[in-house]
Amino acid sequence: MDLIQILSGVELFEGLSAEEITHIASLCQQKEFQDNQVVAAQGSPGLQLFIIQEGFVEVSVQRKGGSAGKVIVNLGIGQTVGEMSLIDQGLRSATVKAISSPTIVQVISQQDFEKLCEKDTHIGYVVMRNIATDLSFRLRQRHMVDLIG
Amino acid sequence: MAIYKVSIVVVGSNHPGAIVNLSEEPKVGTSIKLGTEEFLIEEILELMPPKGDFYFLHLTCVPIPAE
Repeated sequence: MDLIQILSGVELFEGLSAEEITHIASLCQQKEFQDNQVVAAQGSPGLQLFIIQEGFVEVSVQRKGGSAGKVIVNLGIGQTVGEMSLIDQGLRSATVKAISSPTIVQVISQQDFEKLCEKDTHIGYVVMRNIATDLSFRLRQRHMVDLIG
Repeated sequence: MAIYKVSIVVVGSNHPGAIVNLSEEPKVGTSIKLGTEEFLIEEILELMPPKGDFYFLHLTCVPIPAE
């Protein structure tokens, strides 16, 4: 499967044309992680957006001064990490660690992605709308975890 | 091509749950593999209305009973 096909299967880019997705693909850099390797650390600057192409990552949150982090959720193919920083410019709210080998991710620089969204406002609008949908999905997912889990 | 974005909660296990995209529609009574672990799908709910090619589902799963 080529990169355009992979990105077309990511909800963040739902509603974009093939040409617009090609622009996004030009910003991607592929990285491979092994089991237990940290992809992004809690408290670090949110400088990159990650798209999981293959494998799984574990998302965990650590209390200040706490020892072990609490695992919140595992994320698999097609999920994104780091899009919250696009909105709030904040530090990473959780640690993301690969839990399968290999875990392949596409990495996009936040700065480059923001520049593209500002230059092409249709891409910017669609991506921001999709981020809102994704946050709604995750909130509903948390409700189900609290209700059932 | 339809893409099923699924939220998964595993009952009766320490598994934290997962969010993953599937290319095939999940069915109750079938199994789903999350990394090295496999679980049985007990219930499927629509979490949000579909948008474009995306369907948003919630799956309640349980560990597969040992034979």
